[in-house]
Amino acid sequence: MSTSSKLDSKIPEGPVQEKWDNARFKYKLVNPANRRKYTVIVVGTGLAGGAAAATLAELGYNVLSFCIQDSPRRAHSIAAQGGINAAKNYPNDGDSIYRLFYDTVKGGDFRAREANVYRLAQVSNNIIDQCVAQGVPFAREYGGYLDNRSFGGSQVSRTFYARGQTGQQLLLGAYSAMMRQVGKGKIKMFTRREMCELVLVNGKARGIVVRNLVNGELEKYSADAVVLASGGYGNVFFLSTNAMTSNCTAAWKAYKKGAFFGNPCYTQIHPTCIPVHGANQSKLTLMSESLRNDGRVWAPKAKGDKRPANEIPEEERDYYLERVYPSFGNLAPRDVSSRQAKFRVDEGRGVGATGFAVNLDFRDAIKRDGKNVIEEKYGNLFEMYERITGEDPYKVPMRIYPAVHYTMGGLWVDYNLQSTIEGLFVLGEANFSDHGANRLGASALMQGLADGYFIAPYTISNYLASTKLEKVDTENPAFKEALSATQKQTDKLLSIKGTRTVDQFHKALGHIMWEYVGMSRNEAGLKKAIKEIQQLRKEFWNDVNVPGDPNLVNTELEKANRVADFMELGELMARDALEREESCGGHFREEHQTDDNEAKRDDNKFCHVAAWEYTGDNKEPTRHVEELKFENVHLAQRSYK
Amino acid sequence: MSTVNKSIMAYFTTSVGKKQIMALTGLALSGFLLTHLLGNFLILVGADAFNMYAHTLTSNKLIYVAEAGLALIFLTHLGLAFNLTVENKKARPQSYYTKVRTGRGATLASVSMIYTGLVILGFLVSHLMHFKFGPVYYVEMNGTQVRDIYRVVIDYFADPLQAGWYVLAMITMAFHLGHGFQSTFQSFGFNHNKYSPLIKKLGITYAILVSAGFAGLSVWGYLQSSN
Amino acid sequence: MNDKLMTLNLKIWRQKSAKHKGRMQDYKLSGVSPDMSFLEMVDLLNEQLVRQGDDPVAFDHDCREGICGMCSMMINGEAHGPSALTTTCQLHMRHFHDGDSIVIEPFRAKAFPVIKDLMVDRSAFDKVIQAGGFVSVNTGNPQDANNIPISKENADLAMDAAACIGCGACVASCPNASAMLFVSAKISQLALLPQGQVEAKARAESMVQKMDEVGFGNCSNHAECEASCPKGIDLSNIARMNREYFKAKFS
Repeated sequence: MSTSSKLDSKIPEGPVQEKWDNARFKYKLVNPANRRKYTVIVVGTGLAGGAAAATLAELGYNVLSFCIQDSPRRAHSIAAQGGINAAKNYPNDGDSIYRLFYDTVKGGDFRAREANVYRLAQVSNNIIDQCVAQGVPFAREYGGYLDNRSFGGSQVSRTFYARGQTGQQLLLGAYSAMMRQVGKGKIKMFTRREMCELVLVNGKARGIVVRNLVNGELEKYSADAVVLASGGYGNVFFLSTNAMTSNCTAAWKAYKKGAFFGNPCYTQIHPTCIPVHGANQSKLTLMSESLRNDGRVWAPKAKGDKRPANEIPEEERDYYLERVYPSFGNLAPRDVSSRQAKFRVDEGRGVGATGFAVNLDFRDAIKRDGKNVIEEKYGNLFEMYERITGEDPYKVPMRIYPAVHYTMGGLWVDYNLQSTIEGLFVLGEANFSDHGANRLGASALMQGLADGYFIAPYTISNYLASTKLEKVDTENPAFKEALSATQKQTDKLLSIKGTRTVDQFHKALGHIMWEYVGMSRNEAGLKKAIKEIQQLRKEFWNDVNVPGDPNLVNTELEKANRVADFMELGELMARDALEREESCGGHFREEHQTDDNEAKRDDNKFCHVAAWEYTGDNKEPTRHVEELKFENVHLAQRSYK
Repeated sequence: MSTVNKSIMAYFTTSVGKKQIMALTGLALSGFLLTHLLGNFLILVGADAFNMYAHTLTSNKLIYVAEAGLALIFLTHLGLAFNLTVENKKARPQSYYTKVRTGRGATLASVSMIYTGLVILGFLVSHLMHFKFGPVYYVEMNGTQVRDIYRVVIDYFADPLQAGWYVLAMITMAFHLGHGFQSTFQSFGFNHNKYSPLIKKLGITYAILVSAGFAGLSVWGYLQSSN
Repeated sequence: MNDKLMTLNLKIWRQKSAKHKGRMQDYKLSGVSPDMSFLEMVDLLNEQLVRQGDDPVAFDHDCREGICGMCSMMINGEAHGPSALTTTCQLHMRHFHDGDSIVIEPFRAKAFPVIKDLMVDRSAFDKVIQAGGFVSVNTGNPQDANNIPISKENADLAMDAAACIGCGACVASCPNASAMLFVSAKISQLALLPQGQVEAKARAESMVQKMDEVGFGNCSNHAECEASCPKGIDLSNIARMNREYFKAKFS
């Protein structure tokens, strides 16, 4: 299959090591004195959006920054616990830019663009320097130098961390850089705003319409370029580790305006989350994967063994990760570990009241290293676990189960992070990104900051310098049109006055997604999912109940708008999963597995990115293909045995 | 005004500056209390020693400077206390329907500073009225006429109500000092996980000893007259 | 796991918007599982209110794992409720009993005006950070991260201070509505690191000034802030800020 003519990845010439240098040299520059004449909209203030807004403002552009929370400091990047990768090789254990590149391509199961991944590995080192300069308090050794740890199955220690709060500290670094620019007047900050529409003028992204969540007003903003850094769409599953407001609306509206959606079916299911406790659960909490460095994962050998974990004797326990993957053991990659947990539960060997959990046991580690060593390493995580479950993991094994955590798919972007809409740049988790079909641990923070600090500022400058941009303000009819489309949807939602709440629909959608488009997928299930979602959508638009006033804080209306988009996206995910008749990374098709239940890729037919083009409401979208070429890392079946 | 002066003037109007001035004046007043108490103990030696001490103090011209300084310190402490209280009330215009102390932070002493302070103010007024500006008797010592302050004290505490009022006022002061003393260190930036608990204990000890000393003298005065 | 469902008597502050007057309103809620988080309990109430066609209780929340700092609420007179070192989203209903009365109010301070019900505007915190809660470094190529060794002790102390989630519990629980714990945490973090020392004086002065300007109260060393801080930010940070401020003014 060859690349669609509509997809130009704009990968620069030259060997992979020189591509980014070549690109940067060729990029056109905006004269410092002229930068103040340009305005850039940045939607989202997580690592990618925050870093981009700050950096663009430092360069001299006027930035309009939007976030859904009450402060940019609360974006969901803040919740990342484990760490951030970089190829510094401080521990001298054989790491290099090339190895980080190699590991990321391989970890992504050969479904990412080599050139992008190499650039990511290159700038990873600058990120650490930048963050330290900002005052990010990374963990240090007694000598005063930065500490590194091995993370998520990596064979080298390349992960920088700040206790279990790395995401928080990196985000606060970006936030402080932003606040400095807000103080200087270069960034205008708009909080409690949700993007409702992307506005195109002459085919270029020139503005957005947002809803002010405090007074319900629809507001219009124009600019010379628009950056979406609005995060991932894991909440399509209702239950995920994402924050409550994490949603797909900004990306989805862009999709409907012509931005292609890349690999929507690639979802990462994180293996170590606290299991679901009941029907009223609102979200899932992740326990850092670092726990698998010392914890041993097991399930009872016997089916339906309901004895308390500590009463199950050693010989009746199945340390299945160690059994199936002797060399990686408990550190097998996320997708592999998650699927193995699901297999155990499917076999009827799940533990806990619901049976949807396996054990993560620290007994042996405590015996080996002492309680204080384990406490030093994981104290805050153990406390968190106890707070949520009421059980003491020093005494009884933790119960864990996989949960939706990250979406590798997202809006398709070229090497310059520009979508198929001119002037629309997409950063961080919102783009289809550098992680291919599976993201390695501690790589999301790296990608968000790479995009925001070190890539987008160059590529956006190049765009502004090389594009003829006519003057556009919010009086342009395109803004009026976008605004009235949003108003229409609001009016419609408020007028239905049905019998079911928004959450009921969201839960129903989540159930379909988890059941058929979750960890393990098959043709019949996916077809069923598409049908059921379409049915659910119909019911939603006839029977949803959205009470309240549109001109005050109205959280139900907010949720309804999001769920409306999630349902459409869910269908696209199922469609993409159905078309991708192979297993790769986070996408596991039951029809395509090896004899011992491992993912089986089909490089002949599917070594490509699928990018979906919107063709109209209730019309089948068009699937475009960007072929992936592997010139440096040779296509090979992953094996963690 | 130069920018340096401006910046230093600004110190006196910011929250941190004001609390440091509260701390500094409070500490000075605590020091005064201690010397006052030590001087008062002379009353236990006898009427002559006490009267002599009082005379020596008051006949020194420098006493006016000292008193003016003390008054300034006290009025600053007082003025700032009112200012801060008003500001703090303004910082939460609508109070809570239910508010409890966590039990891990604020204490009865810390939340009642303005009230204990007001009691101390009232006490001070009555104290000055009865002693400094109270009845004047003279007694001759070594050929000079000196004020018989000893008699004023003994007369005053002969009334059990007045002695009782002093004891109550001193208990109140103990609370004020108990929070104030340790607070001074925190306000000036001294907080150390090893020493701060010690300072806390020291502060409470100081508060109790000083207050008990004054209260004890009132009781002693009462007992003198009833004997 | 405890499967006994509870019935609770809730008393919740309802206020349509900043312009409307608010009042406490009573609700009876049954079917509360001890395994629910506090916010899931409010979700349950809201689900019922919506089904009745009533306006649900607006409250701030986002990550629901205790790190974003979005959730707030005074629960029975304590910021984030009765459990120490716990945000409202991580407070679980197993700490309450069947038949309990629970009073829920917004964080109250002049600098945190109510937006709706339990939702307040904490942008005053952002304004304080804008005044100097940063290191003035542009994105670019600073020196190698390992060029400045920082003692583990100071790095750890800086991390302790940096753990602040900006939720505002310190302000809410302070009898004076003072923001000193929040402000001092940022001043401390940066004062403890060589990167931040260059601007330490200017930072202390301008952040303190801004803190006063936006309407927070004064500190009188009650330590309620420390006691109610879900992240255990230490009072010694305020001491350090006092020191830094004094140094900035007089050295």
